[in-house]
Amino acid sequence: MPSGAGSHNPAGIGRSLPERGLLLLMVLVFLEGSVLPLGAASSPDIRHQENVDNHKAADPGHNFTKKAFPVLDLDYKHIQTPFEISLWVLLASLMKLGFHLIPRLSSIVPESCLLITVGLLVGGLIKLAGEQVPPVLDSRLFFLCLLPPIILDAGYFLPIRPFMENLGTILMFAVVGTLWNAFFIGGLLYAVCQIQPANPNPLHAMELLPCLLFGSIISAVDPVAVLAVFEEIHINELLHILVFGESLLNDAVTVVLYHLFEEFAGAGTVTVMDGVLGVISFLVVALGGVLVGAIYGILSAFTSRFTSHTRVIEPLFVFVYSYMAYLSAEMFHLSGIMALIACGAVMRPYVEANISHKSHTTIKYFLKMWSSVSETLIFIFLGVATVDGPHAWNWTFVTVTVILCLVARVIGVVGLTYVINQFRIVKLTTKDQFIIAYGGLRGAIAFSLGFLLDKNHFPMREMFLTAIITVVFFTVFVQGMTIKPLVELLAVKKKQEAKRSINEEIHTQFLDHLLTGIEDICGHYGHHHWKDKLNRFNKKYVKKCLIAGERSKEPQLIAFYHKMEMKQAIELVESGGGVKLPSAVPSTVSMQNIQPKKPPPAKPAERALPQLPKGREEEIRKILRSNLQRTRQRLRSYNRHTLVADPYEDGFGDLLLKKQRMIELEKKIKDMSNYLTVPAAPPDSPTMCRARLASDPQAYSMKQGSDGVPTIHVDLASPQSPDSVNLMDEFRQASQQQEKDEDQGLMMKPPSRPTGRRKPGETDADKDQQKLMRCLSDPGPSAEEDEDEDEPFLP
Amino acid sequence: MGSRASTLLREEEIEEIKKETGFSHSQITRLYSRFTSLDKGENGTLSREDFQRIPELAINPLGDRIINAFFPEGEDQVNFRGFMRTLAHFRPIEDNEKNKNASTNEPLNSRTNKLLFAFRLYDLDRDDKISRDELLQVLRMMVGVNISDEQLGSIADRTIQEADTNGDNSISFNEFIKVLEKVDVEQKMSIRFLH
Repeated sequence: MPSGAGSHNPAGIGRSLPERGLLLLMVLVFLEGSVLPLGAASSPDIRHQENVDNHKAADPGHNFTKKAFPVLDLDYKHIQTPFEISLWVLLASLMKLGFHLIPRLSSIVPESCLLITVGLLVGGLIKLAGEQVPPVLDSRLFFLCLLPPIILDAGYFLPIRPFMENLGTILMFAVVGTLWNAFFIGGLLYAVCQIQPANPNPLHAMELLPCLLFGSIISAVDPVAVLAVFEEIHINELLHILVFGESLLNDAVTVVLYHLFEEFAGAGTVTVMDGVLGVISFLVVALGGVLVGAIYGILSAFTSRFTSHTRVIEPLFVFVYSYMAYLSAEMFHLSGIMALIACGAVMRPYVEANISHKSHTTIKYFLKMWSSVSETLIFIFLGVATVDGPHAWNWTFVTVTVILCLVARVIGVVGLTYVINQFRIVKLTTKDQFIIAYGGLRGAIAFSLGFLLDKNHFPMREMFLTAIITVVFFTVFVQGMTIKPLVELLAVKKKQEAKRSINEEIHTQFLDHLLTGIEDICGHYGHHHWKDKLNRFNKKYVKKCLIAGERSKEPQLIAFYHKMEMKQAIELVESGGGVKLPSAVPSTVSMQNIQPKKPPPAKPAERALPQLPKGREEEIRKILRSNLQRTRQRLRSYNRHTLVADPYEDGFGDLLLKKQRMIELEKKIKDMSNYLTVPAAPPDSPTMCRARLASDPQAYSMKQGSDGVPTIHVDLASPQSPDSVNLMDEFRQASQQQEKDEDQGLMMKPPSRPTGRRKPGETDADKDQQKLMRCLSDPGPSAEEDEDEDEPFLP
Repeated sequence: MGSRASTLLREEEIEEIKKETGFSHSQITRLYSRFTSLDKGENGTLSREDFQRIPELAINPLGDRIINAFFPEGEDQVNFRGFMRTLAHFRPIEDNEKNKNASTNEPLNSRTNKLLFAFRLYDLDRDDKISRDELLQVLRMMVGVNISDEQLGSIADRTIQEADTNGDNSISFNEFIKVLEKVDVEQKMSIRFLH
């Protein structure tokens, strides 16, 4: 949520012109938002509408009073709802921008606090204007629209390894901790309500069950608030995942407790049977949610396997499947949050192996964008809803609630840690415990759950809401603001910013295998043993189903290396091109990229040959040759791992297979001396795939002809020679249906030949190049055959 | 099984192992019964075949190396003491041990010793350096046969490039330690032997 750009502000409040303009804009948006609803009521349109109605109802032609034709009309009602929604979103986004104009403020106060304040202001403005505050934190809106993006963002990017390693701890905190909190708070509140002195007090009317219900609502740590606050303090991964994981997994407990108490608050009593049913219900809710999420996740992964031809809608599948998982789980009153997390976590490894790089970026940014806007809106709405009320302030109730929340949290964390530390290898220290306890923030979910309460069953609803809001404000403002200095003060370990290096990856995997082996020797079926078994199962069966093509066999290490090299290559390009690639294996590797195309099924002479004007042809040839020359030199140090292009599509195993195919094809090439056509590459071959690099997907509904692209390999080196990309396009457009001869792969020669026979002069010039290439490449079985070839092609 | 184990293992031996490795009494007994169950020849020592009989170890890419780590230089049999000494590396570090200053006898499960154990698994020729070839061998074992040599070679080169600070084109033990400083070795290389 915090953007990095804010820190560049030179001095204090921005006084430069654009920033003033931005502030002015925000003020205008404020006013507009509050004034327009006023304007709507008195819109002339209403009169117009009435007229039309009259016109219809009455006899035609009699009551028709002719007005002047309205040249400009204000019709607010027509667009009211979408307009207001957009206005809110715009307000939220401008607020986010605005805060970073005042860096001093945003470093002291977390964004969530500022946003709530803004919400309070807006709510206040609207109330002042006399309008009715829109019921913005409507529970349906909240649970169906605002919450899912945040949870999906969290679930999709959940760091699986630390999560799984600490799963036991997280579950303990989430389940046992929340139960403890709920009963402790509920029970003690009831007790406090009962021990009031003799003066009549509405609190006496409180029964046990509503108290317990209130306790269960208020006891759950809120993921939105935790995310908002913790993201800014950058604590170490362990603490972050503990608190955050707890906030996610306690949803199941909250759901069960809430429904349980809500049901029985009407009945009045809870029997043991109900308790047992509650426990069973909890298991069903939690595991059912996870199961629903996992099913949708697998479906999504499976779908992504087939999206290689329609890359543009790939992100849509991720979003839609996840949202449907959430809705399906909510339909059965299962835990929607857990479904969403499970869906995101399950589908991620497979989807990422299948989708293109751009889709990956799209997914990442859309998720971040939506979750950011959602979060902002939620806090603003909290502020607005606070102003709205209805409130019933009761000093005793509210203060006792706040105190009990804190106490319960501390006792819970300390007690649970004592138990948990018996089972952990790396124990939780006191500092850790403090942060965990202090990080137990409540948020909008509690408020929405309170909002959902039925007034008839719960006459104390308003008091509950007031108390909930107070607790939320307290945790967000007080705890949120002070946690950062406390973290500094206690010198809690911070997050390590460095990226994972290849060394760490290799050694971590090495240690995994080592530990699995040692566990097997000891006969001890521990953590590593099961993880290893799961990995094997995954590799053997699941990956084959869910990942398309060759990447299903790609080992994790290679995939990681792949990603890392790509990142490095992108960084190098962005920092100014002209790269010196790490001198790795020379063109043996590069040779494998050359895709000799399979011979097309005959029909040589049926295609038209557009004639290029001679001059242009010459020009193209010259450009190509000079670029290819550069390419060849670069190829010496060219390491396919550093290519930007490669990771878009298939992986390395793919290329290895191509190499084998290439060797086979060499033999066939001999026979194809007089082919006039360049054999078309199959549409999903790496060549074609790589061709889809920068240009629009439309250009690649490949027809047979437009494959005059031996030069496509220049594309591969394109990070260094961006001009060659344009060259490609230009060339391709110029030679759409062109006939070439059967020069395969790296044909250092523009195939723009009307004739299709080689001119001998050029053959020689190129032959040297090829000879060099051949020397560098693997001596295939047909190496000796190459010498005889007139046709310049590449082995 | 249990009764036989306790008669064959004398109290003094248990005490000695306890002092050397830090395992508790019950852990030692439990591991002793495992030892004897592996020891098909019933001669009080384990040979390489005994280890290889463990099915999961056969499919483990590092299986052979792990087995070799148990056997001291040049020997073919390992007794219970040696078995325990190797396993002691994987005992979790306890808090009270963490604060001990680096005395002459560092406990077997200290962080440095754990890392040394792992390092020795890479460094087969015991020259205190992981050379490119040794790294390649390990990589080959871990990724399987589908990947080409050149690709593995570039990964190995990149790895060495990242870790190598003194420019000798291989990874020394100190460089190894440095590279893994961010990895939580105490947790990763510990097995929770049940009490």
